[in-house]
Amino acid sequence: MSKLEIRNLTKKFAGLVAVNNVDLSFGGDEIIGIIGPNGAGKTTLINLVSGIFYPSSGQILIDGTDITTMPAHKRTRLGVGRTFQLIHPLEDLTTIENIMIGFIFSQDLSMKIAKEKAEMLCRSLDLDRWDRSVSQLNILEIKKMEIAQALATNPGVLLLDEVMAGLNSDELKELIGLIKKVAKEKKVAIGIVEHVMGVIKELADRVVVLENGAILADGSFQEVMKNPDVIAAYLGGGNYA
Amino acid sequence: MKISPKIVIFLIIILLSIAFPFFAGPYQQSIAKNVIIYMILALSWNMLLKTGQISFGLAGFFGIGAYASVLLSLKLGIPPILTIVLGGIVTSLVASAMGMIILRLRAMYFAITTLALGEIFRVIIHNVPNFAGGAHGLILPGVIFDGNGLYTYWLFLGAALFSIGLSYYFDKSKIHLALTAIRDNETTAKVRGIDIFKYLLIVFTITAGMQGIAGGLYAQSFGFVTPESSFSGDFILLPIAMALLGGIYTTAGPVVGAIVLGVISEYLKLYIPYGHLIVYGLIIVIVILFMPNGIIGALYVKIDGRKTFGKVDQPNE
Repeated sequence: MSKLEIRNLTKKFAGLVAVNNVDLSFGGDEIIGIIGPNGAGKTTLINLVSGIFYPSSGQILIDGTDITTMPAHKRTRLGVGRTFQLIHPLEDLTTIENIMIGFIFSQDLSMKIAKEKAEMLCRSLDLDRWDRSVSQLNILEIKKMEIAQALATNPGVLLLDEVMAGLNSDELKELIGLIKKVAKEKKVAIGIVEHVMGVIKELADRVVVLENGAILADGSFQEVMKNPDVIAAYLGGGNYA
Repeated sequence: MKISPKIVIFLIIILLSIAFPFFAGPYQQSIAKNVIIYMILALSWNMLLKTGQISFGLAGFFGIGAYASVLLSLKLGIPPILTIVLGGIVTSLVASAMGMIILRLRAMYFAITTLALGEIFRVIIHNVPNFAGGAHGLILPGVIFDGNGLYTYWLFLGAALFSIGLSYYFDKSKIHLALTAIRDNETTAKVRGIDIFKYLLIVFTITAGMQGIAGGLYAQSFGFVTPESSFSGDFILLPIAMALLGGIYTTAGPVVGAIVLGVISEYLKLYIPYGHLIVYGLIIVIVILFMPNGIIGALYVKIDGRKTFGKVDQPNE
């Protein structure tokens, strides 16, 4: 059971404030939905937490440890896992090898044990073509592989960046079920960035709305959807209608 | 216990290599030693290429190893075999210090920097007459094993087998996964827990050490070093051509490439003096255009019946 705390986090790209003074914490086996219009700073927030960028100011803590200036691979060891909006598979490795690297490099397991564990993980995710090269997988299998890759690092907090993009409705249902199962079985806190509201409604225990880098609303799905600020952010304010 | 035919073939090749001097003349042996020098360079270059980084620093490290070995023999009187190993270690130390700085660079910036650094070593040695002989170089009182061809050949063969073993280990261990991940996508590699800088530094240091050992072998077997011959551009171009011809990202590729191109180059020097460089160029162009996975890649397709090998033309079902 891990806990992620984000305190007064700000990221500026030259003149643009991509993430503006964000305070957010979640943990346990909570699933938290992060939504917001395009350019709201959702992916930047994930990049800051996983160590792709470093923040301009503010703090990030996992289980009380300050990881604000820590390099990405060390954060992974402390339990920060993520997937990518634009899929990033390692094309010269097979599917199983893609998953093994998490076990090997963040949990220091041997090749043999990593392989066994990766096969078990594949089975639990219904990903049975693990000996194939990544380029032979379909889009759902690649998404599952990315989730498996992240789970192999034994995350306490898993950040899923638009993991549903490009899936049809059947595939969507399957992946939603899978994420629910993962959260419950692995006791991992999940932060899920998503544009498909149905997915957020189905999965999220709590929803955070970002706009222009700042938190606009934080609460249950129903609460957030009724919030007039959120409606204005998505549909435009009454004054301009 | 079942013995696989692969191991049998491998053992036969090793035995034949050990027995080679008994049925080959001195000229063939000198070709073999040349091939081995380039084989070690090609293997080490390919090992670093697995991370996606192209190094043109081979000649620089080759020269450092050669000079370190000769200087240790001359100034401290250390036995030649030991100085070859120590030369490799000195080269590794220099490379790790350099790597701390230049391994933050990528792609062509890294390639150009390694080329420039190799050249800097040559210029420095060229201009320091009292310590390393300046432009005249240094001459050893005698060559290794007092010129005993048999022992010299076996020493070279040992170095080649050591390099092949190291490269094979890099292909089969977790290092292979780390390096390939770094080449494919650094962002994915680091969020999955791979310490990119650490692995780059390890590979850079080890491969530079191999290049230094090759330099030491070369210097001790010919008994001299000069800035122009020990830092020669041949030690950059030929190994790269060999690795490309044989097939990159494998261990067998640079080995096969070094043997094929190494033997061809001897005949080219005989029949087309001064024109052989053009032929190397043509070979490289033809291989890249028509056989991007090299000889080994083409063989895999034939033997295994695989449609493809490596990254090129992966079929989508």
